[in-house]
Amino acid sequence: MSSDEFDPAIERLFARTPHMQDAPLFTADVQARLESGSRVRTLALTLAGLIGGSVAVRESLHLNLNLSAGDAPVAGKAIGQGIETVSANAQGAVLTAMDQLGMANLSLGSMNGMQLFWLAAAALIALAAAGVMKLSQEA
Amino acid sequence: MTKALMDLHDVELAALAAAGGRREFGELVRRHGSAVRALLRRMGAQGAEADDVAQDAFLHAFQKCAEFRGEGTFAAWVKRIAARLYLKRKSKDARYVAEIENEEITPAIDTPGLVDLDEALKSLNETERLCVSLCHGAGLSHPEIAAAMNLPLGTVKSHVKRGLDKLRARLVPEPAQYGRTAHVV
Repeated sequence: MSSDEFDPAIERLFARTPHMQDAPLFTADVQARLESGSRVRTLALTLAGLIGGSVAVRESLHLNLNLSAGDAPVAGKAIGQGIETVSANAQGAVLTAMDQLGMANLSLGSMNGMQLFWLAAAALIALAAAGVMKLSQEA
Repeated sequence: MTKALMDLHDVELAALAAAGGRREFGELVRRHGSAVRALLRRMGAQGAEADDVAQDAFLHAFQKCAEFRGEGTFAAWVKRIAARLYLKRKSKDARYVAEIENEEITPAIDTPGLVDLDEALKSLNETERLCVSLCHGAGLSHPEIAAAMNLPLGTVKSHVKRGLDKLRARLVPEPAQYGRTAHVV
């Protein structure tokens, strides 16, 4: 057999796939690694969202204080007042609801009701972020 | 496994996998896993190592699925990824033998007809085996192999030629010399 005939023959031999009995196991292993990678990513994103949410809430509280101190420009002051009003309304509504449920004086360790409110808000932001990430991965 | 998934073409499955479809990618692994594993074994990887590299190659492929445009076959694309990953792993372990070695070619006189490529590949030295497998199994060109293995182009060509000569001697022994002809299938 000449070289011209042999080269295509070798390529045909390489193209032949031998039957492997553990092929389903191999497929399952790859899928398990894909799933575990996805779980780690989701966990990391959730943690990042949680931390980011907490920082955002903390910063927004600082922002309110700064704006109300009168150092910010007029537009900023107006936005700050708006946020303050919305925040106060939200807090008021939640406090009323908590009061009706008998949880107004609820404290967890050194935290009072308002701190718990902000903590819950941060957790919700983190959960929402994680949910969006999860949905974008599933799509 | 749904019937619909099995009916989809590789390119369609790859497009769905690129959008995050793990089930669709699983079908691609089911279809081509054995081919990638076989290539790595033919390159010289041992069983568990071959499977590790093959798994890594598929995970790589999943992350880069959007880059697969369907210009070649999906199997060929993953094989190239796997071959490069294996070379990378090997280059950490040892240097390739650049010199052409003089080895005795043992003819396969005990083969009763059908000849096994995997058995024949065992008559090649490590570098020849890698070069022939990369060229004819993974579809890399000689310059690509030279770049991937960090060897001169001329050396790669020599390794491929010598490897093919050895395979030819194993797979197609001279009828006059051995009294019967083996069939390359």
